[in-house]
Amino acid sequence: MEMLLMGACLSTFALVVMCLAFGAATRGEEEWNAAPAPELKVAQPAVTTRFFVEPGELVVPLAARPRVPIEALLLQLEDHVRLEHAAAESYLAAPNAALLHTRTASRLVN
Amino acid sequence: MANMDLLQGLAEAEAGRVLALGKRMTIESGGVLFRLGDNADSLYLIARGCIRLTSPMQVRDREENVLVEEESAGRTVGWSALTPPYRFTLTATAPVETEVVELGREALNDYFTANPETGRAVAFNLASVIGQRLQIFQAMWLREVQRMVEQRYA
Repeated sequence: MEMLLMGACLSTFALVVMCLAFGAATRGEEEWNAAPAPELKVAQPAVTTRFFVEPGELVVPLAARPRVPIEALLLQLEDHVRLEHAAAESYLAAPNAALLHTRTASRLVN
Repeated sequence: MANMDLLQGLAEAEAGRVLALGKRMTIESGGVLFRLGDNADSLYLIARGCIRLTSPMQVRDREENVLVEEESAGRTVGWSALTPPYRFTLTATAPVETEVVELGREALNDYFTANPETGRAVAFNLASVIGQRLQIFQAMWLREVQRMVEQRYA
């Protein structure tokens, strides 16, 4: 009888320990699942963007633009004037909208 | 002489008489024919070489004379001498040694008063010169506006 009672007590104790262990294991998994996802760092563009500018379009700051030497800039201006003058003369020889707005090879605007 | 835009349609002898009203000038390479703002008492027919017409423009922190147009032999520059308020609106320089015929306004007026047919022909030629340049700059301006619209409002 004593042996039987001891076995019953041990079984009950073992059952309680198993329930506690199961509960602890289950709670830990739920808490892991409920934990907020770690914040992912969003890569920032290397250059600034502006309001009214398309999202994919990056605006290069003035300081980052290649600074053309002033002599080269003046030569580009001269080339631009000559090319535009020639384009205007072609247009006047046979005026039509297509000739008026032909593309230019000028480096000043390309 | 016959291919000078201001003298188109004149007989050779008559064109010679108009040219004889002026004086030939040689401008060394890099020399200045007239400057923006100067009194415009004469216009110039380019006999040889080339004239650069420039206008001051602020380029970065410097004021630079930027090319507006170039004219070669046979062309007329300085027609501000015939249109009030008789002030040059551009600066004219010679990039290479250039020869021009300087025609004074008063001498032309006197000659055209005495020779109205010649005056009429030259006045039509002058209107053609001015009109053609107006049309060219009109077209250039329209092209710039078109580009501005494409860049800013596309």
